[in-house]
Amino acid sequence: MSKELTVMMLTWEFPPRIIGGISPHVYYLSRNLAKNGVKVYVVTCDFPGAPQHEVVDGVEVFRVDSYKNPSPDFATWVYLMNVNMQKEAAALVNSLGGKVDIFHAHDWLVANAGIGLKHVFRKPLLTTIHSTEIGRRNGIHFDYERMIHETEAWLTYEAWRVICCSDYMVSHVKWAFGLPTDKLVMIPNGVDAEVYARIEKEDLSSFRSKFALPEEKIVLFVGRLVYEKGVHVLINTVPKVLEKVNAKFIIVGNGYMKEQLSNIVKNMGLAHKVHFTGFVDDETLRKLQKCADVSVVPSLFEPFGIVALEAMAAKSPVVVSDTGGLSEIVEHEVTGVKVYANNPESLTWGITKVLLDENFAKRMKENAYKKVQEKYNWNKIAQQTKATYETILNEYSRSFWA
Amino acid sequence: MHVIIFSWEYPPRVVGQLANYVKEVAVQLAKNNVKTSVVTYHDFLTGQYEEPEGVITYRVTNPVRTHIGVLTWVLTLNQEVERAAANIYYNVNKQIDLIDVHDWHFTPAAVTLKKALNLPFIFSVESLEEHRSHGANSPFNMAIKSLEWLGMYEAAKLVVKSEWMRDEVYRLYKVPLEKIKVIPPKSANWFKNILETYKSVAGGMASR
Repeated sequence: MSKELTVMMLTWEFPPRIIGGISPHVYYLSRNLAKNGVKVYVVTCDFPGAPQHEVVDGVEVFRVDSYKNPSPDFATWVYLMNVNMQKEAAALVNSLGGKVDIFHAHDWLVANAGIGLKHVFRKPLLTTIHSTEIGRRNGIHFDYERMIHETEAWLTYEAWRVICCSDYMVSHVKWAFGLPTDKLVMIPNGVDAEVYARIEKEDLSSFRSKFALPEEKIVLFVGRLVYEKGVHVLINTVPKVLEKVNAKFIIVGNGYMKEQLSNIVKNMGLAHKVHFTGFVDDETLRKLQKCADVSVVPSLFEPFGIVALEAMAAKSPVVVSDTGGLSEIVEHEVTGVKVYANNPESLTWGITKVLLDENFAKRMKENAYKKVQEKYNWNKIAQQTKATYETILNEYSRSFWA
Repeated sequence: MHVIIFSWEYPPRVVGQLANYVKEVAVQLAKNNVKTSVVTYHDFLTGQYEEPEGVITYRVTNPVRTHIGVLTWVLTLNQEVERAAANIYYNVNKQIDLIDVHDWHFTPAAVTLKKALNLPFIFSVESLEEHRSHGANSPFNMAIKSLEWLGMYEAAKLVVKSEWMRDEVYRLYKVPLEKIKVIPPKSANWFKNILETYKSVAGGMASR
């Protein structure tokens, strides 16, 4: 172990390449690790216009050519991308004189590279499992899915420790891959409350007026418009909520259900009350989250539920399904309201309670904001991650590889 | 000299002509006092074993049992090949002189080991995807061709078995002719030429 703890992160996405939640996760984790005295090298896929090498907030980022090999399908692309990622990462470690203490791989998308580097350099491998194939597909049905599932199992087998972002994911991963409990570590996902604090000083009334009338309360949904996110359950509540309170429903995101949902809204004669914005930029999204009188996360399946945390950081009261990671993020009637998943009556109750009882809503969002700062703070998460690195290196130092 | 040979077939697993050819090379090397380790695949006869002829075999299996085709199967097997090679490397105090990789299957492992540990490698060509698939150019074939290209680009030298193959390698992949050695099996100086090629590559990379 060199004097300065050195980590090489492997991830298939890093800003400006953003596909899902791994990109912001690795971005915030790595810069906060750097603040805590950890030297971080991020090896990731390339992106048009992004440099091959740059230093972002003390983090060294290397982007590798990831479309070098023609590929018949996504999984094969992933494995071929790993050939190049592993090659470039190996050359990088070699150029550093082998001075990397730990490899940290995010999801199966970089499993091959992480496992190969571990053996070639004989350094410990750590993985964060953000999501699983068996969870995403609600079961394993085809060889293609089973191959990915087994690749995930292989990665967790080869890893010294497996980090999951919620207690729900810890038990899910333990079940899915048959892992021993002492191999799993729960370190939550975080949220950057500062980006919302910056908006606080601005006057948002003209911004708000682009989306809703002054007398309308804003009900906000943010997410992909797909079945598992439960957006159809929210659409179901629209007429029921409107019976009790004047509101505007703002639906942010895209997905295969979009056309179907907007047709339902039109047929109900409520098109003026539901606004589908599509995908919006970060700035608009954050302002909408600040303006929302209630943020709704009606998911049917949710490994973590980062949008609930974002709403809490934006001081918008939240109503969430009591499922997966959401169950842990929100404490019922303390930091938000939990409702039954896939139940429009329950969801209507939650939304109207928050919209009609201003004192209650105020108490929820204040408690929620406190919770975000205490538990879902990236600096603390980086410190917990660093402690995990140190535990692993301590165990490693007593192994025959050291 | 200590060489590690990578081949996806080696007796008792015989798929085509390659298995017995690789065994002949390995046995001749062992007879001539070259330490020879063969890393190869077998579904269940895994682990390290010293064969009667003096060759040390190290067989690995695929950690991912379900696959959608030979390409993904090969790509997840490469990490096990790397693990086996790294185990050999560290067990002999890093005294490995070169790797000889036969055909495209384990070129990713050879390239990684070169980049990571400065181990030079020879790419021995038995056959090419262009001929196996009669010029097919679907993404599947092109992916295999891209791995053949990677191996040829990164290899210190190529060994081919005929002048025709040398010309094909040149035509398809534009490999500089001086990098290609034509060594026909069963030819008079076959083993002498192989050994000379090994020696010209061994220890040819920067300090380690």
